[in-house]
Amino acid sequence: MDALHWATLAQLKRGLDARDFSSLELTQHLLDRIAVHDERVQSFIHLADDALAQARAADRRRHRGGAPLPLGGIPIALKDNYQSRGMPTTAGTRATGIEFSHEVDSACAERLRAAGAVLLGKTRTHEFAWGTLTPPVANPWDLERIPGGSSGGSGAAVAAGFVPMGMGSDTGGSIRIPASFCGVVGLKPTFGRVSRFGIVPHSWSLDHPGPLTRTVEDAALVMNVLAGYDARDPACQDQPVPDHTADLGRGARGLRIGVIDNHFMDRNAPAVQQCVEGRLHELQREGASVTHFSMPILAYGLAAIYAIELASSGAYHDRWIAEGRSTQYQPDVRALVEMGRLVSAVDYLKAEQVRAVMAAEFRRLFDEVDVIVTPTEPLTAWKRDCDTVAINGIDESVLAASWRLTYPFNLTGLPAISVPCGFDDDGMPIGLQIAGRPFDEPMVLRCAAGVERLCATPRRPPLA
Amino acid sequence: MPAASPSNDQAVQAVLARLLGTPLDSERLQAVLAAYAPILEEIGKLRTLDLRDVHPAVVYEPTASYRSPK
Repeated sequence: MDALHWATLAQLKRGLDARDFSSLELTQHLLDRIAVHDERVQSFIHLADDALAQARAADRRRHRGGAPLPLGGIPIALKDNYQSRGMPTTAGTRATGIEFSHEVDSACAERLRAAGAVLLGKTRTHEFAWGTLTPPVANPWDLERIPGGSSGGSGAAVAAGFVPMGMGSDTGGSIRIPASFCGVVGLKPTFGRVSRFGIVPHSWSLDHPGPLTRTVEDAALVMNVLAGYDARDPACQDQPVPDHTADLGRGARGLRIGVIDNHFMDRNAPAVQQCVEGRLHELQREGASVTHFSMPILAYGLAAIYAIELASSGAYHDRWIAEGRSTQYQPDVRALVEMGRLVSAVDYLKAEQVRAVMAAEFRRLFDEVDVIVTPTEPLTAWKRDCDTVAINGIDESVLAASWRLTYPFNLTGLPAISVPCGFDDDGMPIGLQIAGRPFDEPMVLRCAAGVERLCATPRRPPLA
Repeated sequence: MPAASPSNDQAVQAVLARLLGTPLDSERLQAVLAAYAPILEEIGKLRTLDLRDVHPAVVYEPTASYRSPK
């Protein structure tokens, strides 16, 4: 058994079921580790007052012989935009007069609780889940670098060995970006697969809840808990829920992989490009086929997501802007929400038309392939306080660079995962992104498990 | 064409603010417009597309409010 703090959900479940340790011991161990190391990482904004009480209750239940629960007694974290009973939710804002319920569980918190999880605390997010920085969180692989965002607290907490799973939310890449930068697995399920009820909205048609974990198997286990219909979320779809772990061992043989050469493969740091291409060759050697495509409509993707995201968050924040509360937001977030009214209705609807065209184009590709493989990020995590980054000698804003490869799957709502696939020369993790057909998370997870198996024994960040 | 005077600028700003329905004062609106300029350049690409035959990815669902809560 690996050290408790590096153990996966699957290992922890086996250990708890075998009574190798109790939930109380596990929870206390993680709280002790957080107390020692999170001063430097800053991943948690709140720890649950009743974490140990939850753990004791899980142990009592186990001792009474209650039926095993999928996450019984395992501590997990929620991003600070998930409302949850008994814990404050700030959505990363300090603006006065903006409050969220601490009496209602979000649908995800409700499902995780019902699955037996110990809700250990809340992880930091950039204000209202905007942006890519998640200040003041540090990347556990190099404390001078950003963890990515906006689910940077969850990414850092999982990478640092504080929790085996942290929930994130993804509007333009906010699960997959920190997953890539922190060397963990991050899954953005299909839009409508997991209920958004009780999550502070960013952009209604782009927001996706999903888990950040240390392994693909753990992401699948969490999806078995989270997936399912919830009428409280108007976008949630009543689709059958498969066993997301069923295909993990099937390997790459027969897998049909698509690579889109423009947009995804034409402007990446050399280390990222080489690493992803290397993994593609290895998958081919294991029996996968690779087909190359071009998708010109992607040139309009940034315009589309800007129009939709700015207009949507402008509408959500409209009352608070009118009341002058946005003056208390961080300057970048304030500017972005106040821009919402500058997007014309015609431009907004043209963005929704582009979205429809893009969805149809991906549909055409998925007639020929099972998954699309791309890098998750065009580069690895950069040092704090960078506004621009240079990729192959061309300067690009950090926002533009960080979501360039992820937002197409928010626009299309397709399931997409980031799985660690290597390291650059500075020892920073590189992520590989896999996207699939709507509600075909099992295929995405199968391919991700194949990539995971190609990688050597996982490295750990240089925390004690 | 006469040069724009400060008072003309203010009048234009006032009309713009009214059209946009923004509560931002003139100085703040100018700052937000400046920050928006590069984004507008990107969004402007949408205006070059002829998409008249494409239904936008926004669909009104009249049955939504009839769903049971749980």
